[in-house]
Amino acid sequence: MIKQTSMFKFLRHALAASLVLCAASAHGETIKLGTILSTTGPAAFLGEDMKDGMRIAIDEINAGGGINGKQIDWVFYDAESQTAKALAATRRLLSQDKVDILVGGGNMSGIAQAMVPLAQQARTPFISTEGAATIASPAKEREWVFKSTVDDSQVFARLADYFKKNGITRITLLHDTSGFGQAAADALRAFAPGQNLQVNYEAFAPSDTDLTPQLTRIRASDTQAIVCWTVTPAGVIFMRQAKQLGLGDRKLIHSYGFVSQRYMELAGADADDVLLVSVKFPVGADLPDDDPLKARIAALTEKFQAKFKRAPNQFVAQTYDAVWLAAGALAKGPEKDRVRAALEGTRQYEGVGGVFNFSADSHSGLAKSDIVLINWKDGRFRLADYR
Amino acid sequence: MLDAQFIQLLLAGLGTGGIYAMIAVGFNIIFKSTGALNFAQGEWVMMGGLFAAVAVSEMPVWQACLLATAAVTLVGWLSDRIVIRPLRNHAPLTLTLVSVGLAIASKSLVMLTLGKNPQGYPGLSGARKFEVLGAHVDAQTLWILAITVVLMLLTHVFFAHTRYGTALRAACANPEAAALVGISHRGAIAASFALAALYGGLAGAIITPMTLMSYDSGAMLGFKAFSAAMLGGLGNLYGALLGGLLLGVLETSIGGYLTTQFKDGVAFLVLLLILTVRPQGILGRPDVVKV
Repeated sequence: MIKQTSMFKFLRHALAASLVLCAASAHGETIKLGTILSTTGPAAFLGEDMKDGMRIAIDEINAGGGINGKQIDWVFYDAESQTAKALAATRRLLSQDKVDILVGGGNMSGIAQAMVPLAQQARTPFISTEGAATIASPAKEREWVFKSTVDDSQVFARLADYFKKNGITRITLLHDTSGFGQAAADALRAFAPGQNLQVNYEAFAPSDTDLTPQLTRIRASDTQAIVCWTVTPAGVIFMRQAKQLGLGDRKLIHSYGFVSQRYMELAGADADDVLLVSVKFPVGADLPDDDPLKARIAALTEKFQAKFKRAPNQFVAQTYDAVWLAAGALAKGPEKDRVRAALEGTRQYEGVGGVFNFSADSHSGLAKSDIVLINWKDGRFRLADYR
Repeated sequence: MLDAQFIQLLLAGLGTGGIYAMIAVGFNIIFKSTGALNFAQGEWVMMGGLFAAVAVSEMPVWQACLLATAAVTLVGWLSDRIVIRPLRNHAPLTLTLVSVGLAIASKSLVMLTLGKNPQGYPGLSGARKFEVLGAHVDAQTLWILAITVVLMLLTHVFFAHTRYGTALRAACANPEAAALVGISHRGAIAASFALAALYGGLAGAIITPMTLMSYDSGAMLGFKAFSAAMLGGLGNLYGALLGGLLLGVLETSIGGYLTTQFKDGVAFLVLLLILTVRPQGILGRPDVVKV
């Protein structure tokens, strides 16, 4: 009896071992997609949405038969909003997990920038889902790196069109001192000369709880529009105190980083008349019917809502697009240089965040025509200025 | 010059400074009773705001603030009971390090239970605004200033004129001698943690309507308040008030008159300079070591 039991145990172990071996040998038949996002730490409020955006794209691709018959094997690491952790995880993805492509750079521009040299060195394609333009440009020095988000320079070009249309020539950029805010200030300093724009710059720390000093300075100036550039709750304080200090007669504009339902709800009535510069995703339903994005946004919104029981946002869109862009290029692989070339050759790909065009000169796929101005009305974002 | 901009900046600075002062008092109380720096102080502020945000859907704002303050006071007492008491015979440095762990644990626990979203709610007088000498002031700023002043007065009366407050001071000044006349040092530490948490929790509950609060806001507030406590003189009640208000006004006036690009940098540079001249803080007494 005892012998039988041990015999049975042995068999069971042998069976388990052979199963593990089978799994290992089946491994070669998948395509490995490596992802770094921050689902904990200060940047976590974006990480969850971005991860779910990828999850839904990967499920779609695998359910549809994978890439050339191969399923996607998704390797995910949490960067915990820390660059050092993200870099350790990136090295692991590249050398141990041997991924075919990297998608997602920790949902912090600083992390994505730090990952660039590693991807370059390992000659592995990297689609960043983060904002800063310098992640993927200049394209000649970032052969392997692409990004699925808008560049600040395009956002300012779009804003300049709006200003021209409304006779605004004097503006103030009120940016935070994080990488996100500083990059915008640099981009505007490069962009503004030559435009008919006179720009003042004011800054605040992301953790600031009072913007009275900045706003009283702005009130004393003759600026016509204030563009606030932050992703932190300080942006709510901006709206509240601007109204309180009587700056409601100037045009108040928030960047795409502040397009968040939660923030608008917290601002309440102070969010009235505040414009936000954004990709089209949050106002998909308001787009004209001939806009190619309209149907795609509606489809993803419905699917996301059903799966995760909440409405998707533009951060979902930018990772969803990134995974589909990766899938399109991986289909031309599996060799990494062919995947890279395929990515660079992507033209007129209609995603949910915009229409992507990559080229040897530009690894940042979106253009100013993908950007609109929106506002917050009756509990949802509405299209305010389409073109 | 008493122009509108000056008043505006002054009031904003005093409002922020009042909050720093209240948190700094918490630092001081625990420093006095244990000799340790309590890095969980900022997290208690964060809890005060987030607890009130949870409670506010069920009751008026003032009740939510009081309830949140009481809850945080309990958290402070529990922190002592669970974490500090078993270690109270260790050196202050050990307790300081333990408080860092306590801070991280508190923050993570709040993140897991209350989520990562920033929270806010209306002020004690709703969104009422006043005009004072041409400056626009949120009613909540006046509330903060009033509560700070009243709380400071109460604290003064408590420590200087009540039996229990005097006993607490005695237990902190000389535990052995106090024990001889029947005052428990253990009880004094527990009371100081509860009291420090009360200050933190209340500060958090009344600043949240103006600044919003999220699970990771505590560290920065704690850090600023610690600087205020150092500036005024660590362990000194009036130093905390002075240091807090001074730091608040310093920050806003540098931002308003000099530069907003390096506001915090300049504020801390001034702080460093003051501490170079007076290492014990403005009202602190230098340590005299008797041989």
